[in-house]
Amino acid sequence: MTTMNAIETQNLTLHRNGTTILKDISLSIPTGAVVGLVGRNGAGKSTLLRCLAGLIEPSSGSAHLLQCPSTHLTDAVRERLGFVAQTPDLFDWMEVFEMIHTIGRAYPRWNETRALALASQLDLPMGGKVRNLSGGDQQKLSVVLALAHDPDLLILDEPVSSLDPMTRREFMRALFTSPLQSDNLPGTEPRERTVLISSHLLSDLERVVTHVAFIRDGRLQWLDAWDAMQEHLRLIPAQTTAAVAAPYPAAGTGVMWTNRQTGQRVVDTRVDSRWADSGRGLLLDELFVELNA
Amino acid sequence: MEFDIAPNSANPIYRQIVEQVQRRVASGQLPPGADLPSVRAVALQHAINPMTVSKAYSLLEAQGLLERRRGVGMVVAAQAVMHHGGPDTLALLQPALAAAAQASRQLGIDDAAAVAAFAQTLAQLAPTPTPMPMPAPDL
Repeated sequence: MTTMNAIETQNLTLHRNGTTILKDISLSIPTGAVVGLVGRNGAGKSTLLRCLAGLIEPSSGSAHLLQCPSTHLTDAVRERLGFVAQTPDLFDWMEVFEMIHTIGRAYPRWNETRALALASQLDLPMGGKVRNLSGGDQQKLSVVLALAHDPDLLILDEPVSSLDPMTRREFMRALFTSPLQSDNLPGTEPRERTVLISSHLLSDLERVVTHVAFIRDGRLQWLDAWDAMQEHLRLIPAQTTAAVAAPYPAAGTGVMWTNRQTGQRVVDTRVDSRWADSGRGLLLDELFVELNA
Repeated sequence: MEFDIAPNSANPIYRQIVEQVQRRVASGQLPPGADLPSVRAVALQHAINPMTVSKAYSLLEAQGLLERRRGVGMVVAAQAVMHHGGPDTLALLQPALAAAAQASRQLGIDDAAAVAAFAQTLAQLAPTPTPMPMPAPDL
């Protein structure tokens, strides 16, 4: 089962009002992967996540979550899914505790103790109406609601943009804990929860992702294991690559991307090992800048 | 032991863990039989992905440095002793030396001057040849 893909899309395309918002996105995300979805504002991240969750029907192509078509998610799959939308859908009129309790009744796997533990871990005020929560506290509530039923697949759209760094650490810890996991037992393998998370907080993503998916202008630009990208991608200054003399990424040279303003190139030493000692490795935010220049 | 992890580095987190265990085993700070913290404990402490820690431990196990002991978790393998100052420890120093050599050439520093500067840097360190500032393990 672990070799199955938790998320799979084929040629996913979406047109709206004469504009193409998603273009031919084909991706496979293996079970247990934690994927950071990154791209500029308007690149299509939220739309892609909403298509995956079945909230938008694509114009063509397909999306599957846990082997089930996104457009026809079964109750069994919904129970295993956690989704945090960019703008949380909360019941404004309820008390915070009341909302947690109400949502919980919809999930057989709901764990009220875990919900309350998460709420306290994230420092969510439990008294008062949902509508009176600050933006950050509304995000905390959405995260609690998405995690408390111990989902196998989490899709998170900018879940922590309003949270302070301490709370974001707690959020990242919560991503990997499960009520079923006993503490510190030798041989206990980390839980196979799959997470797809869009965020601009790239230094947070660097802590937790196994993969990064870059999206630009509605197209999937690059999806790869982050460890491998750190180890094999190098940023080469313009004058060093002049010798290669290829104006654009040329096949076989390992040049994956050329920044047309600075002439800097991102090279992949897996394609051409001659670059191994040239330039330097990249941080996620540097790679983001290069790929979007 | 505690790992010193820089999550925002071009060096992958799993490799930072692998390198730190290698160095501490090589220097004898982690003797055979010493416990490693659990995957979960390391992940929680640093707010990192447990799979990353697990990957590092599995690699170290494949290298023969760690072994999985039932009921205890990961321990330093009995045969993992690398002789202090031997060829293995020198190999571990090589990446840092290569980086320093590259920087030295880029700065146009004369090779002899660079070697002298390294000797001087060594001389400035505390006289006790403890490679890393951490408490001695309990034996």
